[in-house]
Amino acid sequence: MSDSGSAPAAERPKARAAPEGSTAPARPAPPPRPMVPLPYLLDFFPLQEADQTGIARFFARLREGRLSTTRCSRDDLLHWPPRVACPKCHGTELTWVDLPERGRIYASSAVLAGAPLGMEADVPFAVGLVDLDGVPLRLFGRIVGRRWEALAIGLPVRVEGFELADGRVFYRFRAEPEPGPPGG
Amino acid sequence: MTLGRSVALVGGTTIPWGVRAATWAELAQEVGAALFRRVPSLRAEEVDSFFLGAAEPERFAFQSHVAPFAAEQMGLAPRRIIQRTELACASGQSAIRSAYAAIASGLADVAVAAGVEKMNLPSMPEANTSMACVLDRAWDGAHGGTAPPFFAMVAQRYLAEHHAPPEALTAVAEKNHAFANTNPHAQFYAKKFDRAKLDRLPLVSPPLRLGDCSSMTDGAAAVLLVAGELAGRYTDTPAWIRGSGQYSDFHNLAHAGSLTDWTGLTRAARAAYDMAGVGPEGIDVAEVHDCFSISEIVEYEALGFCGRGEGARYVLDGRSGRGGDVLVNPRGGLLGCGHPLGATGIAQAVEVFDQLAGRVPPERRASDPRWALVHNLSGSANVHSVMIYEGGTAG
Repeated sequence: MSDSGSAPAAERPKARAAPEGSTAPARPAPPPRPMVPLPYLLDFFPLQEADQTGIARFFARLREGRLSTTRCSRDDLLHWPPRVACPKCHGTELTWVDLPERGRIYASSAVLAGAPLGMEADVPFAVGLVDLDGVPLRLFGRIVGRRWEALAIGLPVRVEGFELADGRVFYRFRAEPEPGPPGG
Repeated sequence: MTLGRSVALVGGTTIPWGVRAATWAELAQEVGAALFRRVPSLRAEEVDSFFLGAAEPERFAFQSHVAPFAAEQMGLAPRRIIQRTELACASGQSAIRSAYAAIASGLADVAVAAGVEKMNLPSMPEANTSMACVLDRAWDGAHGGTAPPFFAMVAQRYLAEHHAPPEALTAVAEKNHAFANTNPHAQFYAKKFDRAKLDRLPLVSPPLRLGDCSSMTDGAAAVLLVAGELAGRYTDTPAWIRGSGQYSDFHNLAHAGSLTDWTGLTRAARAAYDMAGVGPEGIDVAEVHDCFSISEIVEYEALGFCGRGEGARYVLDGRSGRGGDVLVNPRGGLLGCGHPLGATGIAQAVEVFDQLAGRVPPERRASDPRWALVHNLSGSANVHSVMIYEGGTAG
């Protein structure tokens, strides 16, 4: 896959940089430890390193705060999630593109009970489908920044990356804080 | 359209569903015993093929290779075809469809299609994790996406787009729970849920309350399907499979499109209607996939029972109840019976078989039915499966 984003190949960030002051050359990080003490087959989050997945670039960019995905120029098709083969032409020469960080809620709800293992402490949490500005993509994700009761169809949100406890990264949406009480 | 040989459903049974003091294997044993009691003329050696609907035995019971495992529990030794069908919530209907195709083609003559699911675990967060991996685990499940918040978004969009009264959700739950009170095998047979009680239940995923959501259920069901010419050996009142359709739209939630216009169901239903030579106006009784109250409302529309945006009024006006246009979910639906994933589609077929023969309690009996429809969705309503049955006599 080639990179049509802003970073030239030579300046592309390593998946994980060497520690500050280290003279050792950067090398691929060891496989991540689980975020919670869960067996691998009970852990939800995708494996992210270059020796584990063909879309490691997605996670490396996310670490820089950029949400990106693959695009097939032959079909003018933006994929979600990022892929290694186009589902339309089945070509494998895909480019990486950054996605808009702003969007609006198409639908939202919340999990108030019945959370999966490792997410019980998050309850209640909001989730939603978000239409990204200017691209034909509607992504599902957690929505933070507001109580679920204060979310609504059409509300603007921003994408943000965040780090899991074991060093992996993931993304979520953040809504502007609710207006404070009158006069407050 | 005729597909090979005619195929008849000639017997079937459920077992008590709920939070059961029984292992996966014991549920299979129970349903095997119940099937042979229900079809006294059936001898085990006549069953040449076995299809088992089981959605997540690896996650819920730590057991793979479950078709031979279940066959042994049920006392069956199939010699032609033995296989498991997995299509999440539609795994049971998939077993029936596979048995149907096998018999119609001549590969099988006498087949059992069963569904077994054990869902209540000592650790329910583990069970919830298993439900979340029905979705795209790494990209949707990792956000905490499971069925309740997805169908809650369907409800949010439906109520907003159609300015529909939220009471319609409760009306579906109330109707199906009342029907479940006539079904001793239903998880909520002995529990009464009127509108006021349903409205007081806690929110699970707003706007859906506990009563709007089907349960985690241990259960099993089995049916016997045979080549048409053999039907008279087992029953005088077979249900004939006349139509079958499926449609798979998408998987990742990013590709769901409209949450309220289930075009995949419309397509699956049209294929089944066309094959059977009947339309929605001809259907007398329907078992549809009310995994959530909102699902049944959207399904009325996609199945053609009413127009788009009319589903809420349809249930509020009683058109899906007794004396209405189509009797929908008379066994109690997934809301009232519970939803042991792989067993649900089989149990719906059992109800249809009994309805077409007039063998159900009068409080839930369709009036002189001829045509019956069964619908299952799976996942995030991304796959739809429809079958159509016609009542009749053997021979």
